[in-house]
Amino acid sequence: MKGFNDKTTGLINFSDLKHLRFKILYWSIFAVLVIITAVEVVPIIWIALSGFKTTAEMFSTPPTLLPKSIDFSIIPKVCSKVNFVNAFINSGIIIVGCWAFDIFMNGILGYVLSRIKPCGSKIVSTLIFWSMLLPGVSMVPLFITFVDVPFLHINMTGSFLPIWMMAGCNAFNVLLFRNFFNGIPMSYLEAARMDGCSEIVIFLRIIIPLSKPIIAVVSIFSVTGSWANFLWPYLLLGSTNFEPVAVKLYQISVDANIQENEFMLLTMLSIIPPGIMYCFFSKNIMGGLNMSGIKG
Amino acid sequence: MNSLQTDRKTVIKKARIQAKRNLSGWILMFVPLLLFIMIVWRPLLMGISYSFFKLKGFTPTEFVGLQNFIDVITDTDFPQTLMNTVKYVVWSLVIGMPLPFLVAVMLNEMIHGKNFFRFTMYIPVIVPIIATSLIWKEIYLGGSGGLLNIALSYFGITPVDWLSNKNLVIPLIIVSMTWHGFGGTVIMYLATMQSINQELYEAARLDGAGLLTCVRHVMMPHMGGTVLLLAIKQIISVFSVTEQPLVMTGGGPNGASMSLGLTNYFYAFKYGQFEKSMALGVISFMFMLILTFIYFQVDKKLSD
Repeated sequence: MKGFNDKTTGLINFSDLKHLRFKILYWSIFAVLVIITAVEVVPIIWIALSGFKTTAEMFSTPPTLLPKSIDFSIIPKVCSKVNFVNAFINSGIIIVGCWAFDIFMNGILGYVLSRIKPCGSKIVSTLIFWSMLLPGVSMVPLFITFVDVPFLHINMTGSFLPIWMMAGCNAFNVLLFRNFFNGIPMSYLEAARMDGCSEIVIFLRIIIPLSKPIIAVVSIFSVTGSWANFLWPYLLLGSTNFEPVAVKLYQISVDANIQENEFMLLTMLSIIPPGIMYCFFSKNIMGGLNMSGIKG
Repeated sequence: MNSLQTDRKTVIKKARIQAKRNLSGWILMFVPLLLFIMIVWRPLLMGISYSFFKLKGFTPTEFVGLQNFIDVITDTDFPQTLMNTVKYVVWSLVIGMPLPFLVAVMLNEMIHGKNFFRFTMYIPVIVPIIATSLIWKEIYLGGSGGLLNIALSYFGITPVDWLSNKNLVIPLIIVSMTWHGFGGTVIMYLATMQSINQELYEAARLDGAGLLTCVRHVMMPHMGGTVLLLAIKQIISVFSVTEQPLVMTGGGPNGASMSLGLTNYFYAFKYGQFEKSMALGVISFMFMLILTFIYFQVDKKLSD
């Protein structure tokens, strides 16, 4: 346990903490934070535990907080009832595709705008910068685009491709990549160009190995983002066999055949993958937040 | 003469390298840009231009001027929806702005369990929005099954059907959104707070300033910009709130939680009125454009 003498940050300094009233203040702040943490965590724990209740327990009076027993064997039963495993596989396919599009499309665009700068790249940069915060005018034009793809005239709804393509044009990530690549010295690239490397080789052989930190950050946000992605998968893949977990969960919530406790169990299952990711990568995620900063 | 020739040679060589660079740059950019055109910019222009037309299926047939906009604005539900959206924004500022700031100030003081608090506070952010909304729907559940009613039953309060109350429904949805986004905001505030020079506090304290004075006159001037930026960002995102009311209430009770975003969604995919959806989209877009412009203006001022 750290002593108060180590305290070098914040408004209350270590000499204040020799006085009793500052000690009381400090520990009451601690207590408030414990309460807030509880508010943040309790709903998740409650959902997780309620999933294991029996139907009788759900509607008992007076209501109970905890289930009588935790029986893991109900998980596969409930999953097979709604074909939840299939939804997990679909989510996996969406995540992998979105990740590849996100890294390569946005990465290459960021690289060109940062290190090649062909004529006209300034205009492109400005356009991308402005589309960062502006949402689309409406869902309809984009939906029309996917129903009848310009020039090709094919219908892309009911396939994963539109979801992947949407991940491939993330203005925020383009700027993130561009700002990162700005820090790679031009002389590296000039040397490679002198040796006759083409730009794509430079990107694959020099840029990508140098940009592991930014790729890690974008990857983590890409994976958690596509796991949570709901509205477009719902519009394009709803009521097909390709529904990802988030869409499936919503369908289940309005399905009268599913009991309340089964639904809570499935909700809990849908949180587990991002939860595991977070446990492994919490440092990168927080670092990434500060890196992307507020300025973009 | 000789040197001039070599000069010319190098100029030509440079021009050739430059041309090669332009070419390879545009080739590399081609596919990503095509995606941007197809998915971001073309739909934007399409939406704006189509909103002045009558549509048959997905093709515009007849130019009708501002008729679609008039249809949207004179819709009997429009004033209520607009008011609701304003309510969403106001409540999100009331509930969602001061709390993360206070928590960040408190967290900044901690030497015990700081990393633990940071870790746990961020957990809700990784819960998908759809799951967040569904979890909170369960918490607010009427009857005796919802967590809120269970908790209140220990104080002898009879079960309330929370989301059916038309005055409470918007603040309740905002609470769930705040629960979700809270941790991220705290971390951002904390990062800015940690960049403040520690000696400033010490100096202020030596001059006899109390803790609150320190917060007000030393911390706030440094934090003001970040607070403002996050506030504008939050207004922009809450302004287009769609998924949360869709999942939690479906816009009810009696349209009390309808937002502009949800109306837009319903026009398009429930009633099939694409023209109205696009006209409403353009109206929202105008608000967003103004807000975004303010955002960048503020951002620029802060960077200088």
